[in-house]
Amino acid sequence: MTQAVRCDGVVQIYKTKEIEVVALRDIDLVIEEGESVAFLGPSGAGKSTLLWLLAGLLRPSAGRLWLGGTEIGRLGPRALDRLRAAQIGVVLQNPARNLIPYASAVQNVTFAQRAVRRRARRAAGDLLDRVGLNGVRDKPAGRLSGGEQQRLAVAVALANRPRLLLADEPTSQLDMATGQTVIELIKELGTTSVVVTHDPRVSEATSRTVTIRDGRIGAEGRHGEDFVVVGREGAVQLPPEYHELLPPGSMARVEPLPDGVVLRRAES
Amino acid sequence: MMLRGLWRRRWLSLIVLIIAVVPVVAGSLGPMYTDAARTTLIRETLDKAILDHRGWRVTSVSDDAGELVKEITAPFLLPPIRGAELLSPNDKATKTYPLMWVEGQCDHVTTVVGRCPRAANEIMVSRASGFTVGDTVKLSLLSDPGAEKRRLTPLRVVGVYETDAADPLWYGRSLFPQTAGVTEGNGDPLLTAPETQGTVGVKTGGDRIDALVGAAWTSTAILYIDRNKITGDDVASLESLHARLRALGRTGETTTVFGYMDETLEAVHRRVDSLSVPTTLVTVQLVALGWLLLFLTVRDLVAARAQEIALARLRGLSTLRIWAFGLSEPAFLLLAALPIGIAASWAVVSRMAATLLRDDLVVTVDGFTVLCGVAAVFGGLLATALAARQTVTQPVVEQWRRTPRSRRRAWVVDAVVLAITAVGLAELLAGDVITDATGQRASALIAPGLLAVALALIARRLLPLACRALFRLTRTHGDIGAFLAMRQISRGSATASTVIVLAAGLGLAVFAVAAWSVTSRNYQEVARVHNGAETVFVVPRSDVATLRKISADVPGTAPVIVTPGPPAMLATDPARFASVALWRPSYAGNRPLNGMTAKLTPRTAAPRVLVGGDRIRAEVSTPKMPDGWSAILYADFRVTGETKPAIIPLGRPDSRIKVHEWGLPRGCREAVCELRGLRLEVTMAAGASLEDGPTGSVVVKKLEVRQDGRWSTVDAGLADTNRWTPAFVPRGGLPLSLESFGTGAVRPDTFPDPLPALSSGPGAGQKLPGLDDGHFSGFESVASAQALPGLNAPGVVVDLETADRVAYGYSPRTEFQIWAAPGRGDEVREALRRGSVPVLATRTTDDLVSGYVTQGPGLALLLLIVSAGVAALLALGRAVLALHTAARRRTYEMAALEAAGARVRPLRVALLLEQTITLSWGALTGVLAGLVAAWAALPRVPEFAETPVTPPLDYSLVPVPVLLVACAVLALSMIAAAVTSELLLRGVRVDQLREAPA
Repeated sequence: MTQAVRCDGVVQIYKTKEIEVVALRDIDLVIEEGESVAFLGPSGAGKSTLLWLLAGLLRPSAGRLWLGGTEIGRLGPRALDRLRAAQIGVVLQNPARNLIPYASAVQNVTFAQRAVRRRARRAAGDLLDRVGLNGVRDKPAGRLSGGEQQRLAVAVALANRPRLLLADEPTSQLDMATGQTVIELIKELGTTSVVVTHDPRVSEATSRTVTIRDGRIGAEGRHGEDFVVVGREGAVQLPPEYHELLPPGSMARVEPLPDGVVLRRAES
Repeated sequence: MMLRGLWRRRWLSLIVLIIAVVPVVAGSLGPMYTDAARTTLIRETLDKAILDHRGWRVTSVSDDAGELVKEITAPFLLPPIRGAELLSPNDKATKTYPLMWVEGQCDHVTTVVGRCPRAANEIMVSRASGFTVGDTVKLSLLSDPGAEKRRLTPLRVVGVYETDAADPLWYGRSLFPQTAGVTEGNGDPLLTAPETQGTVGVKTGGDRIDALVGAAWTSTAILYIDRNKITGDDVASLESLHARLRALGRTGETTTVFGYMDETLEAVHRRVDSLSVPTTLVTVQLVALGWLLLFLTVRDLVAARAQEIALARLRGLSTLRIWAFGLSEPAFLLLAALPIGIAASWAVVSRMAATLLRDDLVVTVDGFTVLCGVAAVFGGLLATALAARQTVTQPVVEQWRRTPRSRRRAWVVDAVVLAITAVGLAELLAGDVITDATGQRASALIAPGLLAVALALIARRLLPLACRALFRLTRTHGDIGAFLAMRQISRGSATASTVIVLAAGLGLAVFAVAAWSVTSRNYQEVARVHNGAETVFVVPRSDVATLRKISADVPGTAPVIVTPGPPAMLATDPARFASVALWRPSYAGNRPLNGMTAKLTPRTAAPRVLVGGDRIRAEVSTPKMPDGWSAILYADFRVTGETKPAIIPLGRPDSRIKVHEWGLPRGCREAVCELRGLRLEVTMAAGASLEDGPTGSVVVKKLEVRQDGRWSTVDAGLADTNRWTPAFVPRGGLPLSLESFGTGAVRPDTFPDPLPALSSGPGAGQKLPGLDDGHFSGFESVASAQALPGLNAPGVVVDLETADRVAYGYSPRTEFQIWAAPGRGDEVREALRRGSVPVLATRTTDDLVSGYVTQGPGLALLLLIVSAGVAALLALGRAVLALHTAARRRTYEMAALEAAGARVRPLRVALLLEQTITLSWGALTGVLAGLVAAWAALPRVPEFAETPVTPPLDYSLVPVPVLLVACAVLALSMIAAAVTSELLLRGVRVDQLREAPA
C-alpha cells in the first residue's frame, strides 16, 4: 500500500516569549492510503498539534514528515499552501469556525475551491447533494443549524478532492443523531482520513486509533484491540488502567519472554 | 460575498467608511479651501484697489488699440472698452477739451437734457461745461477735410450729461475738472459718436509726427479684470497677461500701456503667498491624523475578519489572494469614501466660503483636488495594508492559539518619532532653518502634530506601567473592580491606540483653539493700536485750525494728523487724544495715557509772527561793513498752501541805509503768512581779507507790512528775548551777528526744539518728518511706550499745535483724521455729515480685524480650527469605539466572573474605571500636547501676512477657551465612558459561557 502520511521522529516545540513547550516528541507514525485513523488522548496531549502538522500548517521542529511522498519540512510557505489547497481537506473543531457565516452554503464551497484548478474542483451542487444540503444551498452558513454547519464544513473540506481529510472533533458540539450522520459521511468518503476525537463512536467507526499521551504515541488500536507502542529507545507508555499496578515512579523488573517481555514491580 | 460581509459588520463598516472619509475630506478640503481662500484674497485685493490698479489702458496714436488687445484674452477679463480721444483747444484757445467716444458711453452717463450723440459731429457736454443743447463747439484741431480753405468743423451739442467720475468707464482718470470745480484751462470731455473720428480733421494712423505731438486721435482700449470671475488659479495667467501687455507698451513709441498692475500683483502675492504654506501644513497634519484613525479602525475591521482570513489560509489561498481577500472590504470602503469625501469637502468648503469668506465664490472640484483625494485614499490603503499586515501574515496556528508576538520593534517606531520630534522642536525653538520664503515660520504649524504624537507615544507606555504598579496594590487591597481595571489597563491592549488617537486629535484641537484665541487677541490688539481709536474718519487735508475746529464742534473726538515715518509722527490735541484713544496702561508701565500726553504741550511758547499784505519793510541798524564784505538779510515765511518756506531777500544791510523793503510772497496777499525766521548771509568778495571781516550785528528794530496800501507794524517782539531764539541781548532790536562764525539766523521761539514727544520703539537720534514731511526736527521723549495708538510702526505722538508751528505746510503724505471715542462712531459720523465735513474713509477696529482674518495666515488658522474640531470629535469617537470593542471581547470573562459570584457593582466599577482612566489619560495627554505645542510654536506661527512692528504680539495663552475645550473633552470622555460601560454590562450574559470565547 502507498503511504499517505509518514512521521519519522517528529518533534514539535512551541516557543512563546518566555517559555518553550514540547508538544510532540519522537512521533513515528505511518498512515496508509485509504486508512481512517482516530487520534485519541487527553486534552493537551498533542493531538491537534499533530493534526496541524499533517495539515501543513506547522513545520516540525525536528524529525521528518512526509505527506504523500512529499517531505513538508523542505517546502516553502507557498508550496505548503499549494499542497494544502490540492491535497488536504480540514474540518476544524466547532463547525462555525469552518465557515464564512455571511456567505451562502454554495459560496462557502466555492471559496474553498479558489486555490485549485477548475478541473480539480468538485461541483458544489454535487457536494451539497452528497451532504444533504442542496435545499439550503443559498442560505447563509451562519443561519444553518449545528448539524448542517458541520456537514457543510465536511463538504467544504472535500471541495478540492483532497487525498487526506483531517477533522478535529467533528462531532463535539453535535447531538447524537447529527454526530452519527457526520460519522457516516466521513466513513462513506473512502478517502484517507485522520480524525481527532474524544467521541468513542468516531473511534469505533475508524479502522485504527492512535492514542497520544504527553506528546508521545502511547497506544494504537486495530480491529477492536489496543496495543502499546514501543517507541524510540524502547520507551513504552503503560495505559492508565495499569497505573495502579505500576504507579508512575515505581521500579519494575523486565523479564524476557520468547515473544516479548514482562514487567514486574520491584519490591523496594 | 463582500457586500454580504460588509452588511454583516455594518456598524463597524459604517465607522470605517466614516473614518475613511476623514483623510479624503482632509486631503481634498485643503486644496479646495486654499483655492477659495486664494480667490477671496485676489478678489478682495482687487476690490480694494483703485480703478487703474485693476486693469490696463492701452493707447495708441498709430494703431487701433482695440485691435492691439484683440489677442489678449482670458476668462477673467472683461471685453475691452474701446474708444478714442483727441485733446484739442477750442477755437478761442481758452480751454482744452478732450473730444472722445467710448464704447457704451451712453449707458454710463445720465442724460440731463437732449440725447446721446448718434451721428458724426454731434457731441454731448457735461452740465458744468455751460454749453446748452443746440450750441456749437469748435476745436482748433478739427477742420473740415473737404474744404479748400481750412475751416473748423462745428460740433453740435445734442445732449447734456452727468456722470459718476468713479465709473470704471473713465479708468479712474481726472477727466472732469469742470464738474470738480477746477476750471483752469481744461474742460470736461465732449462725448461724441465714433463716426466723428472718421469725418473730421485727423484720425488714427495718420501722420506720425502729428500723432507724436498729440495732434491726432488717440485710440484707447481699457481692459478690466472681472472681479467676479477671477480665481486664485488665475494669478499665473494674470502675470503672463500683464507681461504681454507690458511688452506691447514697449514695442513702439506710439503705443502706451497705463496701469499699476505690478503693484496689484505684488499685493496679491503678499497675501496669497502667506496662505499656501500654512494651509498645506494644516492639511498634511489632518490627513495624517485621518490615516492614523483609519489605520486603527481598519485594524479592528480586519481583526474582526481574522477568522475568515485564517480560513482562507487554511484552504491554501495564495498570499496575493489572501491580501486581496483581507483588504477587499476596507478597500471597497475607501473607494466609496473618495466620492463621499470629495462631496463632503465641497459642501463644507462651500459653507465655509459663504459664511467666512465671500458670498460670490463658486467652489469647484478641480483635478488637483481629486488627485489629493486619491492620494489620501492611497495613503489610506497603505494604512489599511499596514493595519491588516499582522492579521494577514500571522500563521493560522498562531491565530488559533492566540500566541503573543514579540513587540520589540514598536520601540523602533517610537524612537524614530521621538527623535524627529526632538530635532524639529530644537530647530523650532533655536534655529532658523525651517523658515519659509516670507521669513515667517509657517512650518511651526507642524509642531502640534509632532508633539501630540510624541507625547502620546510616551503616555501610552507610562499608563500601563503606572497601572501595573497599582495593580499590585489593588490585588491585595480594595474590591475587585479596581483590580480588574488596573489589570486590564496594564495589559495595554486597548490603551495604546486610544491614547495615541485621543492625544493626537485633542492635541491638534487644543492647539487650534489656543492658536485661534491668541491670534484673535493679537488681531484685536493690533487693530486697536493701528487704528488708534474705535472709529477713525479720514477727512480732506486742510490745515490744523480747520481740523481742530471740526473736532471741537463734535464732542468725543480728537483731531489727528499722521505723517508716515520713519519714525512715524502722530500730531494731536493731547487732552482730546487721551480721552478717545484706545490705550492699554500696560504698554507704558501701567501709566495712564492722559498723564503722559500732558507733558506734550510746552509750558511756554512765543506767539507766532503773522503777516499779511504785499510788501514788507525792515528798519535795521548796520555797522560799517569792511571793504569786500557784504551781507543779505533774508526772511523766511510759511505760506498757506505750500510745504516749503517762501524766502525773500529783505535787502543788503548797509550802515547808510536804515530801511529795507521787499515784496511779500504772493501767498501772503490772500492769506496770512507766518514769519519763520530772519537770516543774514555774509559774503566775502575775492581779495577781501578774512582777518578784516565784519564785526558786530545787524539789529532789526522794526518790521512793517503793507496791506491795502497802508503800512502797519508787525507784532514781532523784536526786542523781547522770550520771543526769539537763540537767546540774544536786545540792543533796541533783534541782533543778527555779522561775524563769520556768529549766529546769523534767528527764529521766533514758537516751538521747543527738540519737540516733546511720546515715543515707541527705537527712535533715539532720529529726526521727525514734520507735518510738511520736509523740515525735520529732533524730538525728546517725555515718555516711552511699547505701542502708541494710531501708529503701526515705531514713532512718536506730538502736540498738534507744536507740530504745526514746526512745519511749513502739510505734506500730501499726511492724513487728516477725526478720531471718535469708543461707542460714539455713529454719532460722530452723523455730526460730521451735519457739519458738511466730507469723510473720505472710515476705519474701524472691526474692519481691521476682518482684514487680518482674511489674510493668508488667518484663513489657514480658520481651516485649522474647523478641521481640528471635527478631527477631535472623530478621535474621541474612535477612542470610545476602541475601548468598547476591547471591553466587548471581555464580556465572556465578565460573564464568567458573574457566574462565579462577582457582583455587578464591582464589574461596573471596573469597566467605568478602566474607560475613564484611559480616556482621561488620552485627553490629558492631548491637552498637554496642545499646550506645549502652543507654547513652543505659537510665537513662530505666522498670524499676519506681514508681522506688525508694533504693538508687541502677546503669545501667552488665553485660558478660558483652552480650559473650556479641556473641560468639554473630559466631560465628553466621562459620559462616553459611563455610557459604554453600561451598555457593555447589559450585554454580559451568563449564557455566553455556553459559547466559545470570541
